Amino acid sequence: MIELTNATKTYDSGGGLIRAVDDVTLTVRDGEFVAVVGHSGSGKTTLVSLMGGLTKPTSGNIFIGGTDIWTLDNLNLARLRSEKIGFCFQFSSLIPTLNSIDNVRLPASFAGGERGGLERAMSLLETVGVTDKAKAYPAELSGGQQRRVAIARSLVNEPRIMLADEPTGDLDEQTEVDIMKLFQGLNQQGVTIVMVTHSQKLAAQAGRILTMTAGVVAEGIATGDAGV
Amino acid sequence: MGRPLAVDEIILGANAHIFLGKSESKVGDEEYFYGKKYTVAGILESTGIGIDDAGFLTMDSVYDMAKISDKSAVMKLDVKPGDVSAFMVDVKPDATRSEVARRIEVEVPGVAVVTSKELMSSSVASQLDSLMPWLRLIGIVFWVIVVLMIGALFSTIVNERRREIGLLQAVGATRRFIFQLVMLEAMQLTVIGGIVGLAVGAVAILLLKGVVASSVGIAYLWPGSGYVVVFVAGYLVMSIITGILAALYPAIVASRLEPYQAIRTGE
Repeated sequence: MIELTNATKTYDSGGGLIRAVDDVTLTVRDGEFVAVVGHSGSGKTTLVSLMGGLTKPTSGNIFIGGTDIWTLDNLNLARLRSEKIGFCFQFSSLIPTLNSIDNVRLPASFAGGERGGLERAMSLLETVGVTDKAKAYPAELSGGQQRRVAIARSLVNEPRIMLADEPTGDLDEQTEVDIMKLFQGLNQQGVTIVMVTHSQKLAAQAGRILTMTAGVVAEGIATGDAGV
Repeated sequence: MGRPLAVDEIILGANAHIFLGKSESKVGDEEYFYGKKYTVAGILESTGIGIDDAGFLTMDSVYDMAKISDKSAVMKLDVKPGDVSAFMVDVKPDATRSEVARRIEVEVPGVAVVTSKELMSSSVASQLDSLMPWLRLIGIVFWVIVVLMIGALFSTIVNERRREIGLLQAVGATRRFIFQLVMLEAMQLTVIGGIVGLAVGAVAILLLKGVVASSVGIAYLWPGSGYVVVFVAGYLVMSIITGILAALYPAIVASRLEPYQAIRTGE
């Protein structure tokens, strides 16, 4: 379960403080599939980054599985990111000097477990449909293939939470369908998914929709929200 | 050679073949000196000074050569048994040369002692003495500049890899891992630089030692292998220390980046 209590994140833009996430309190229950929609700059990415421990809230608390993650030391916070959370970013997030298979195995090497074996990595690449690109480097992959490898990487440690920031952005329709099927399958296996998207069609496939407007979260799709 | 020189053997200086009217001499060649035949047992490396033109024999060989020279040679070699013009004394590393020279002069009357330093022209010796502190200072200044330049280079590298660092943290890398990653890369770079520097230095010495030796009149002799090993090891350790000092600040900065900010600013 992910809980945010009065979570606020502000940035100094130079021209004053920006409240990217403004006093948000919400709970994402285990096994939920949540879509976060909203205009560009409404705070969606900051919200999922707070949920994943990638950024510290200016005020408020973030709980994962009942633990206030910012009370953890650096080592345990890194372990939490590695073992419990899978990240899928909106841009190419592969390490350019590693080939696909080594990118997939990377989180397992930090977790120190046995899940980073070659067979498992190949199996994950097969799941996302890019087995033939196992030895290819990111520069040799298309945008869709990079996203698929990144998804395979996010699954290597069998995380219970998947945080996806526009996972299908700028991808073709077929790849978008494939990735959504993959997420649906993961969710049916009990993985909690929080997905940021601009697409109303994709958001409709989630079990719950949150709309962000100027850092504030509301349940459901806000009426007249042009960003959705 | 690893064995004593036989009475019918000679070791030649690097340029002695010129005085024999040959383009080169090889070990095993047979040569005549004052009418007596000798086998070349070894050829010395070039030193750039007079001993390159000389030949080296046992004392008995020299006396024997002188004895028969009035019959077999064009010109008689005037060396009587027991004659010695000079001894070379190998001083232990921990001994003071001037003290050894003083004791020889006191204990062996009639002997004049000349130290190796006095063999150099006095102007070269005094120039070297006055130059050394400045050379050391220039070395230290250059080293500090190198540390600062490598530090600036790694700050740029860290800045360019912010997104990569953020991504590594997102998939589980600890701050310690990021710190070690930057430090390791810096050490690899400086050790490779050190090895290249050693190689370039060695080639420069090989190419220029003759020119330097002949211009200042100082023999260049390769130091012992023990000294070379210690020098190379010390040089590489210094390279590692340079890498550590240079990359320390960029590595700390990299390890303290917040993943989200690192990813976003690196986009």
